[in-house]
Amino acid sequence: MKASLKDNLTSAAFLGPFIIIFALFLAYPLFYSFYLSLNKVTALVNVFENLKFVGLDNFIRLFHDKLFWWSLLMTLYYAALAVPLGIGSALLLAVLLNNKLRFNRLYRTAFFLPYVLDLFVVSVVWTFIYSPHYGVLSRIFEAVGIHYFAEQGFLGRPETTMPAVVIVNVLKGAGFGMLLYLAALQNIPQEVYEAADIDGAGWWTKLRRITLPLLKPVTLFMIIVGVTAALNAFVEVYAMTSGGPSVNVGEQAYGATWVTGYYLFETFYVKLKLGYAAAMSYVLLFLAVTISLINLRILRSRGEN
Amino acid sequence: MGGAAVDQGKGRVRARTIRVAVLYIALTLAAAVVLFPFFWMIVTALKMPGHAFDPEILPRPPTLDNFKKVFTEYGFVRYFMNSGIVAVSSGVFATLFAALAAYAFVFKKFRGRDKIFAVIIASMMVPGLMYVVPQFAIVKKLGWMNTYRAMVVPHLANAFGLFLLRQYMVTIPRSLIDAAKIDGASDFQVFGYIVVPLTLPVIATLFLLTFQFHWSNFLWQLIVANRESLYTVPVGLAMFKQQHEQLYTLKMAASAISIIPISVIFVFAQKYFIEGVTRGAVKG
Repeated sequence: MKASLKDNLTSAAFLGPFIIIFALFLAYPLFYSFYLSLNKVTALVNVFENLKFVGLDNFIRLFHDKLFWWSLLMTLYYAALAVPLGIGSALLLAVLLNNKLRFNRLYRTAFFLPYVLDLFVVSVVWTFIYSPHYGVLSRIFEAVGIHYFAEQGFLGRPETTMPAVVIVNVLKGAGFGMLLYLAALQNIPQEVYEAADIDGAGWWTKLRRITLPLLKPVTLFMIIVGVTAALNAFVEVYAMTSGGPSVNVGEQAYGATWVTGYYLFETFYVKLKLGYAAAMSYVLLFLAVTISLINLRILRSRGEN
Repeated sequence: MGGAAVDQGKGRVRARTIRVAVLYIALTLAAAVVLFPFFWMIVTALKMPGHAFDPEILPRPPTLDNFKKVFTEYGFVRYFMNSGIVAVSSGVFATLFAALAAYAFVFKKFRGRDKIFAVIIASMMVPGLMYVVPQFAIVKKLGWMNTYRAMVVPHLANAFGLFLLRQYMVTIPRSLIDAAKIDGASDFQVFGYIVVPLTLPVIATLFLLTFQFHWSNFLWQLIVANRESLYTVPVGLAMFKQQHEQLYTLKMAASAISIIPISVIFVFAQKYFIEGVTRGAVKG
């Protein structure tokens, strides 16, 4: 059956607002960004008018840019911390909540609340908590005899800064993963455990043989969430460390939290190198799409089994 | 024999009591860790200016001076209003546009329907940072810099929202729609009187999620609005932070007031937030 003209007009009216904005602000930018990535800004005024075509020059320079490789390494480091910490904290909270206790709902609210709050503001609060000398966390550690953090706080030393930054995001997001794990846990039929009890399985065996395998889809999803957070990491770095503190590797100084998202912002907003920033964003896109496709693959192969 | 059974029963009760106690201790510790920053933010905000690093945990005496200052001496009333305008209008329009489009994708037939939908869904893979440079260019070319439009319009096509609403709308029985159509209802009437009321819980969820997202959409608001009268709360806080690195009690008061509205909404509308999170995740 063919749709009538009137019907098509109605469809267009329903779709119009969404599609127009989608086309202008989500689809077109990808092409425009590609165009930008092949150009170079030649003057610092009216940057979008003063562009010169340079071909693949930006990508070639990116390939030789040590600071960019370093930023990818730091992004990977961010992910390597965020994924296990994120999964661990979410799973722990879910397991604790998966008991029929009277105040369960109250605790669930408490754990989930930070997830909906503003990351920038939360980062500002944590910067204060992480302060050296009189910062509350330094003092707590000093009270138990650990003076390691007193002088520079948690954001002042290259070794501790990245973990400190990641922990902020992990604690804020723990409630999100918790909800997913909790839903998955509650979907496991009780009979499976009862059967295991009859076979004399202990809690460790039950956890390893029943619970964790059944939680695998959520865990895979959480890995994607952690990696995506690393690829998009910017706000927390901007608020807490500005990419620092600096680390010397050979002759070159790098930033201990200099993730790609922050480098992109710096290149675009501070240095106004639009073409270079656009090229960088294409690398980010490539990474994000690769990860999504791997995820899709895993989900598909699971479906076939 | 009876006594032994009672003893065993008592033993079981005791084991259960211990288990419950251990669980409560663990839960309380976890809650303390997760909520500690907010506790510390509030107690610091209640301390006298300049006393942020006092050894006492609780402010003695507590003062509201910081909150008063934030509102009277700095522009936070204005930033608050801006955040509200941006978050509410983004929430309303993004939800409306997604609902309209979802209706077309579910109940209308048109050429390329499934392909268009697939493209929109695929766009969810693109990392948000990717858009910063080109969207900024477009906003600049349109002459929208330093307007509410610039902060709101680029985010009104919410692919996730479309996905969420479509998923829900396909469960509405066709017969209901057909019956209304036979009675002479137009698509807009069907949409307004049947589909929207039935989809209301998901619409509420989507509104809250977009509201929350735009209340804290820091990077974009920082880039497109550099006039103080247009600062939103997080941008205002960032500028305040740059100028007054040492005024911790004030910073914490400003942080507290920016977090409180979302917290209050969250406590009352928690189930909608939870709905959105769990529904959105099981898209596999």
